[in-house]
Amino acid sequence: MKLARSSQLARLIVRSASVLVPRRDRSAWTAEWTAELWHLCHPRCCEPDADPLQFSFGAFHDALWIRCDRLRSDALPVVRSGSAARCTLVLCTATLAALLICLCLPGARSALLPIPYRSAGDLVIISSSGYAGAQSPSIRLDDYEEWTTDTATLFRQIAFYRPTDKAVYPAHHPAVRLSLAQASDNLLALLGLPPNTADPSAPHPAQPRLILTRTAWRKTFHSDPHLVGRTADIDGQPVLIAGILPDGDWRFAGHVDALLLEDQHTLATLPAATKGFVIARIRDSAFPAPRDGWRKMVETHFGVTRSFDCISVTRLLGQPSSVFLFALLLACLALPATTALPLGDYPSRRNRLPGTVNARRWVFLAAKFALVLAIVDLGSTGLAYGLSASGPITAIYIQIATAFPALLFGFRWILQDQRRRCPECLRLLSNPARVGQASCNFLSWNGTELFCARGHGLLHIPELPTSWFSTQRWLCLDSSWLCLFPETIAPSPELI
Amino acid sequence: MPVDAKLSHTAAMILQAIRAGQIYGFSVMEMTGLPSGTVYPAMRRLERDGLIVSRWEQQSIADAEQRPARKYYRLTRTGKATLEAVYKRYPLLEKMIPSPERAQEVERT
Repeated sequence: MKLARSSQLARLIVRSASVLVPRRDRSAWTAEWTAELWHLCHPRCCEPDADPLQFSFGAFHDALWIRCDRLRSDALPVVRSGSAARCTLVLCTATLAALLICLCLPGARSALLPIPYRSAGDLVIISSSGYAGAQSPSIRLDDYEEWTTDTATLFRQIAFYRPTDKAVYPAHHPAVRLSLAQASDNLLALLGLPPNTADPSAPHPAQPRLILTRTAWRKTFHSDPHLVGRTADIDGQPVLIAGILPDGDWRFAGHVDALLLEDQHTLATLPAATKGFVIARIRDSAFPAPRDGWRKMVETHFGVTRSFDCISVTRLLGQPSSVFLFALLLACLALPATTALPLGDYPSRRNRLPGTVNARRWVFLAAKFALVLAIVDLGSTGLAYGLSASGPITAIYIQIATAFPALLFGFRWILQDQRRRCPECLRLLSNPARVGQASCNFLSWNGTELFCARGHGLLHIPELPTSWFSTQRWLCLDSSWLCLFPETIAPSPELI
Repeated sequence: MPVDAKLSHTAAMILQAIRAGQIYGFSVMEMTGLPSGTVYPAMRRLERDGLIVSRWEQQSIADAEQRPARKYYRLTRTGKATLEAVYKRYPLLEKMIPSPERAQEVERT
């Protein structure tokens, strides 16, 4: 009775284990284990010490082994070492990893996304010293105040901000020190940021408003849902916490935890020499197309002429793609200095490879170029904008410094890798052998010989390029050579 | 697998048990004292490497004896050669599980 029960339980265990076995092997596997179990439990041939339960637990080990072995053998042809599929798979994985890293780093993610400001093509940042002035404060407050009235023909709107650190004393929260952008109250309206970021129903319109970034709200105020609408104290002045700015909406220079929006009268209490940034929305009539570049604004004041640069915000913030294209151009120019461009001599006309084989080789080469471009673009953007918190100009330098060498060595690797592959199966050639002697260079060729493990041919690479042997040469082997290559012979076990 | 391949002691015991005439998985377990979770995966590996081969017995034989058909295992030529090479590494293997030829020799002497 006890044996019958444990026999039933053992059969159930074997059936459960069979789920692990691949479908195509499952019926044969279950039949074998069931038959063995029958012989173990049947009264005719039952072993006195046999324990069906203990026996059946081994089925899990067996099923798992078969599953792992099938996985290994099924995956093997696809990702076989040196195969084109493996190379493409590695590059695709790297591209995916770079994309995920970029999406995880807030700075890099916002650099990849479009500029969030309304009609960003009309926005300019005014600087007294070119791109450097877009990275560090360069415009005096008194200049800005003058421009608010004097430049109506050039700009539709003009706003000022300056980065500063201040202690903030919010109600129901301990005091914190935040990096603020002390700005004129029209800044958000000028940028065209969503209205929900600024609370329009402020009880006192003249009261300064504090717009926290989402990161600061989450990290410093632990995502307090009741924070918006409360007041805080900054420099002894009550400030309304008016909203939360989504991550990535602030793209300008300087790390900012919050925007402190103040009206012109409050800003005017700052010293006249206070330096900051000025952002303006241009008039179409004043700046004819194309407007995504760089314009000079010349001002004559009491006989003194000063010039300022109006740098397009799209040019400044939309740098990742243009910087990458510049790095790509440099890499293309430098590539011939680092490696030979020809891919080698392949079969002559009478022994030409089939068209599909040739096409596959070119498609593989194009895929490698596309994937390397994507990896370098995403990687350099991630490094420049994800890890750098010092502003768009530093990010441009970092991106050029990383993208150019990465593209150069990436292209060099692509060409070298392509030259070391069999043109038929696209696998990496193996077993390099040195042939000839350098001292006999004029009598016979010397160099390195590699062969395709599947017996498709031999590659001859000359040690010294000569007029009769200037580049590597591929020699096709016919099927009579196949017996020499073990990978082309299937094992056939024989019975005794 | 090459003839001079190094087999583990467990795999060598299983090969020797099959050579000694234990052609079913359960009988190999009984002869070697190894658990089912070791014997069956090891036999699959040996079969994959071409050292043993499995066959289903004829259904008519099983039906005549009113039992389910069993799967039996036999050594391949490669398996036999590998086993001969392995005796040098595990000299006691033949004594632990004597093969039929060896048993006959012992009886004769």
